[in-house]
Amino acid sequence: MWSEKEQRELEKMLPQYNTKRSAVLSALYLAQQEKNWLDDDDIKAVADALDLTVTDVHSVIGFYTLFRKEPTGKYIIQFCTDLPCALRGATKFYHELAEQLGLPPEGGTTDDNMFTLEEVVCIAACNNAPCCQINLDYHENLTHEEMSNILSKLRAKSEKESTTQP
Amino acid sequence: MSDLVTLKIDGIEVSVPAGTMIIEAANKIGREIPVFCYHSKLSTVGVCRVCLVKVGTPGFDRATRQPILDVAGNPVIRFFPKPMPACSTPVSAGMEVITESKESLADRQAILEFLLTSHPLDCPVCDKGGECPLQDLTYAHGRGESRFEYQRKHTSPKKIPLGDLIVLDTERCIICTRCIRFQDEIAGDHVLAIENRGRDAKVVSYTEPKFDSKYSGNTTDICPVGALTSRDFRFKDMNKPGVRIWELTNVPSISNYCNMGSNLVLGTHVGEIRRVMPRQNELVNEIWLTNKTRFGHHFHSSSHRLTAPLIKENGKFKQATWEDALSLIATKFHEAGEHIGGIAGPHLSNEDLYLFQKLFREVLNSNNIDHRICLNSAIDDDLAYEIGVGIGTDIGQLAENSAIFLLGSDLDEEASMLYLRVRGAVRRGCHLINANGRYTKLDTVANTKLRYNYGSAVHLVLGMTATILDEGLEDKNFVYARLEGIDKLKTKLQAYTPEKVADITGIDADIIRQAARDFAKAENGIILYGAEAGNDTALHASIRNLALITGHVGKKDNGVTAILPHCNSRGAADLGVIPHRLPGYHPVADEIGMSAKEMLQPNHGLQAMYIVAADIVGEVVTCKSAIETTDFVVVQDLFMTETAKLADVVLPAKAIAERDGSYTNLERRVQVYDPAILSPTPTCWADWHIITAIAGRLGAEWTHASADGVMQEITEQVSLYKHMSFENLTKPISLERKRQHYIYSGMSFTADVREGVQWATRAENQASFFELKFIEPENDMPQSDIILVAPRVAYDGGMLISQAEILANLIQQPKATLSPSVAQRLSLSKGDTVQLTSSVGSVALPIAIDGKLPDNVVLTPRNLAGSVAEQLLDGHNIFIGVKIVH
Repeated sequence: MWSEKEQRELEKMLPQYNTKRSAVLSALYLAQQEKNWLDDDDIKAVADALDLTVTDVHSVIGFYTLFRKEPTGKYIIQFCTDLPCALRGATKFYHELAEQLGLPPEGGTTDDNMFTLEEVVCIAACNNAPCCQINLDYHENLTHEEMSNILSKLRAKSEKESTTQP
Repeated sequence: MSDLVTLKIDGIEVSVPAGTMIIEAANKIGREIPVFCYHSKLSTVGVCRVCLVKVGTPGFDRATRQPILDVAGNPVIRFFPKPMPACSTPVSAGMEVITESKESLADRQAILEFLLTSHPLDCPVCDKGGECPLQDLTYAHGRGESRFEYQRKHTSPKKIPLGDLIVLDTERCIICTRCIRFQDEIAGDHVLAIENRGRDAKVVSYTEPKFDSKYSGNTTDICPVGALTSRDFRFKDMNKPGVRIWELTNVPSISNYCNMGSNLVLGTHVGEIRRVMPRQNELVNEIWLTNKTRFGHHFHSSSHRLTAPLIKENGKFKQATWEDALSLIATKFHEAGEHIGGIAGPHLSNEDLYLFQKLFREVLNSNNIDHRICLNSAIDDDLAYEIGVGIGTDIGQLAENSAIFLLGSDLDEEASMLYLRVRGAVRRGCHLINANGRYTKLDTVANTKLRYNYGSAVHLVLGMTATILDEGLEDKNFVYARLEGIDKLKTKLQAYTPEKVADITGIDADIIRQAARDFAKAENGIILYGAEAGNDTALHASIRNLALITGHVGKKDNGVTAILPHCNSRGAADLGVIPHRLPGYHPVADEIGMSAKEMLQPNHGLQAMYIVAADIVGEVVTCKSAIETTDFVVVQDLFMTETAKLADVVLPAKAIAERDGSYTNLERRVQVYDPAILSPTPTCWADWHIITAIAGRLGAEWTHASADGVMQEITEQVSLYKHMSFENLTKPISLERKRQHYIYSGMSFTADVREGVQWATRAENQASFFELKFIEPENDMPQSDIILVAPRVAYDGGMLISQAEILANLIQQPKATLSPSVAQRLSLSKGDTVQLTSSVGSVALPIAIDGKLPDNVVLTPRNLAGSVAEQLLDGHNIFIGVKIVH
């Protein structure tokens, strides 16, 4: 959500850029921070703040896979199943993880809106497969046990956040 | 001139300026390298890879830094291991290029095969079929058969509307980005973009309304594959059987909407206009058209056209014969004697206008004629005659050493084609000073933005002139050789130094000074001025002085252009459809006649009025009573306009595409248009024909049988037009010039490419002298906190454009646009209505809010439905002080 807080933060950043347009990635990142995806109002706000057209902003969003225009879970698990990872059992791991989360093989978002699982092509960590990226953090050399740990830690973290922020 | 570089292409030596890309060098010697993404009018991106060629450069010995020579003493050429894109590889000395090497041909074949993996091959139903670069290149370089299974082709959505006018077929698109680059670079409307990557990449527009641009139609011309097509022409989309492009007859014509006189081609099929395409004229519209011109042609085929003369009997129109109508007109005009007046619209051709004034001056013995119907936006000037832009002026080529001073005009709305050209000039480095009372679209690229208070444009010009004289920046040779009265002007201008005008204009003195320096120091300077600068003799005199003392007159790329409202406003002024001047800017010998403004006052004292191609009541509703009180009114038009409804006799005229004629554009370029279709009935006559017939009934012995016959007489009678015979005007450009004009637009039609002829201004005669005139500006600043500004807009309520259903959503509805702070002060929000009251009238209007508008301005375009703005204006300027009440 684009609020006065985001607007203030953006204005603080603007002097670092040669042109307003150059700040579009940072501005989108700010706008996406809270709910993990960008709605039309967010996009309009970013466009207005940087004197761009909405179309221009959409174009940037479409180019980068980390910006999203659809609602997602709080944590997005991008799981690589490309060839090198697959050789280290990533495909099997992925399917088991999907099942564990109660999701179909093509991935999706859990009912509690906590996790979104996505099958992706290469996150540049083949040497430590199976691997995945959860939001901005990498998790490598995964075992099912570790994965369960990570997921429950994230669940706990989320719960803690929601209790401290009434 | 940059240094020349010599290289060899396919064994032929060619010299081109350093920095030229291989593709342009090859084009120069007639070697056509295939392209999709490259376009000579757009920036280069090099994404389609179809232009790959084999390139080599002379080898150098690393140790001695000398070229390696073979036994015969020739440099050894080392070819790059991979093919190079010809569109984005600059030439270098000694380079050798092989355009059709075995490798390049294989590459082309492969690229085409890849492009066709997702291209639907629906050529039989594609509008582009027959003029499609992808089709042509596949024919020339394709494999002939596909190795892909047709059933497994990648498919994506078809027929996606990108706005009201353009349709996108995603699976035909090859992501060359020509359309996006056109919108960003040429039009300045950033409303198209590529979304996503790889296979998912597609052209999108999220702007509301979608693809919102006055120039969007051009993307369909430059699209190399038929992904973008116009809804107007699209196969079977308008409840009409489709027509294929090779069935069209292409006739050269001129836009009746464009004051630059855009050249176009009317594609006709069985007597009907089916599409309008640009006709290249690098001096006028390059290869572009505005959507208004492209889609506004539907009035020709409207079912509301007048088809026979009508005579009013007991308040009702009855169909009559030409015989009866002409007899009645002759009798009544004869009875009226000197109490007769004539108004001719500036959409008429030069031939019509010339005969119209001849009818009044020679047959009816009256000077009561005018073409300035829209009382306020007509700029009455004779600056064009003296110091109009020099012959050959080409804003499309202006670059670094030039400056344009744009004063009081929103070119995007008022002269859209000129907007594109000025914007292009700025991109090439021309210095643009944009002075207006409000934000206009060219502010996004202008080097200097001056925001004056409405009514003080003249002070700004005086302040700039004073600076130039004070700092000795005037063109001394020119001043010495050809000007008189410089000392007197200097004395007068002491009262208008930048400091002294800073207050009244609201512009900082230093900024005025800098603008003056920029304009004076430029090698070439053009002043463009429009109605928002004001409309008085003091302003015109000040513009004249500024152009003269800087020597920016009488030569190519220098001079002054008034932004006149209509396609032939210039011609109407040239040919004397004005009460005080004869054709060719000669003052009338006898008494000055009544102006349109005087004729349209209620107590004008006229018994008869002859109104041709002018919907006076439609434009200015307050003129109704003046026409009602006239005993006998003849209206000659295409439609039963609001004005025609009040007439006693209505005469049906031919529309532009049904006849020939000529228009004179803003830059004094005379251009002809050809007849393309027949009128709805043979009882529609060309305007010059009707005027000739009326003159005949009144005893004149005119023998005109064709428009070019009338033009022949003009060339003999009006010295300015002495070179304007149809023979000269229809001369196609030379082959050599055509080669220069060669572009990659995907247009396969053939219609004559002509350039038109400009008439010479007085300044172009090197022996002419000028006296500097100073006219003290009247202080007619609107005395009010809020000023109503009523500029002309592209999509106004005009009769012709309202016949085009496809543009219906774009026609502006009357509204009062305010700045957010004014809206807040009056606690107004979207959808509210305000009452605007000026010293002249009062109207209620819904509001709109625009954050870019200054707080002292309320914007209501003129010539919209109900002519609301006109009811508030007093007929002098297009701005006036108003009060706003919620």
